[in-house]
Amino acid sequence: MQVNTDPLVEDYMRRLEAAAWALPDYRREELLAEIRAHLDEALRQVPAGDEAAVRSVLARLGSPEEIVAAAADPMPDGQFVPYPVPAPAPETNGLAIASLLFGIFWLGGIGSLAALILGYRARREIRRSAGFQRGSSLATIGIVLGWIGVALLVMAAVAAFFLLAASSTTTGTPTPVASVVPVPSG
Amino acid sequence: MEPGRARNALSQLRKGTLEYCVLALLGEGQRYGFELVRTLSEADGLMVSEGTIYPLLSRLRRDLLVETSWQESESGPPRRYYHLTDAGRRALADFSDEWTKFRDSVDALLQHKEKGDAGEH
Repeated sequence: MQVNTDPLVEDYMRRLEAAAWALPDYRREELLAEIRAHLDEALRQVPAGDEAAVRSVLARLGSPEEIVAAAADPMPDGQFVPYPVPAPAPETNGLAIASLLFGIFWLGGIGSLAALILGYRARREIRRSAGFQRGSSLATIGIVLGWIGVALLVMAAVAAFFLLAASSTTTGTPTPVASVVPVPSG
Repeated sequence: MEPGRARNALSQLRKGTLEYCVLALLGEGQRYGFELVRTLSEADGLMVSEGTIYPLLSRLRRDLLVETSWQESESGPPRRYYHLTDAGRRALADFSDEWTKFRDSVDALLQHKEKGDAGEH
């Protein structure tokens, strides 16, 4: 293996390596190896110590920045085409389903609270998955049902309070408990 | 037309067609990187920086249009040879058909325009 010790070449390779830092490791290694092989091949045809010839070889190669830009800009019209990895089919977020179910089964308010907690967590997870999970609408339905459940619970509590208050005023007794406690007679 | 505009259009065309030039060269037979790159950079009007062809080769390999193999050379270290895959051959054939149509249409329109210019004078 011929080792190039020309300082111009080494300087060029260092600049290339520095410019290529953002490339994935294996692509950077591959690029550096190919350029190195190219330079070895080109310089074999150049008389040793001919600095002008070395400069001309490097000039034909283009600047390191230009080469790395070509590696980073895959398609002619600038649109990025990712590696042809088949995209996994988006799966439905489990928390979203759970949220919907808890939303449907009110469970005396506990289901609604669970629907809310799970629903919001599901939506956050789905948002972060950047398209790899779906079920956002399920989670939303779960959240809406959850809030309806909570609202029903509050309304029931308020209604119970007024009923109790009303019953206490009509009977005139200070506490509604009195009405259920049988007054001892005789 | 200002020269900058024409240059930009040509640069876009070059970028778009370069990978098919690579495939076409490989269609004639396998080549190693340096050989391929030198042939392309010496083609009149293509004006490519030699180094930018290596990332292109890497992409073609990733897209399974070319594959590589290491082979011994008489003078120096083993060389990495590039050859077309069947998919590469198909891509090249598709492009060649489309390119011929494209080129003929552009030529016809450009010549039409030249005739029009001549008629006015």
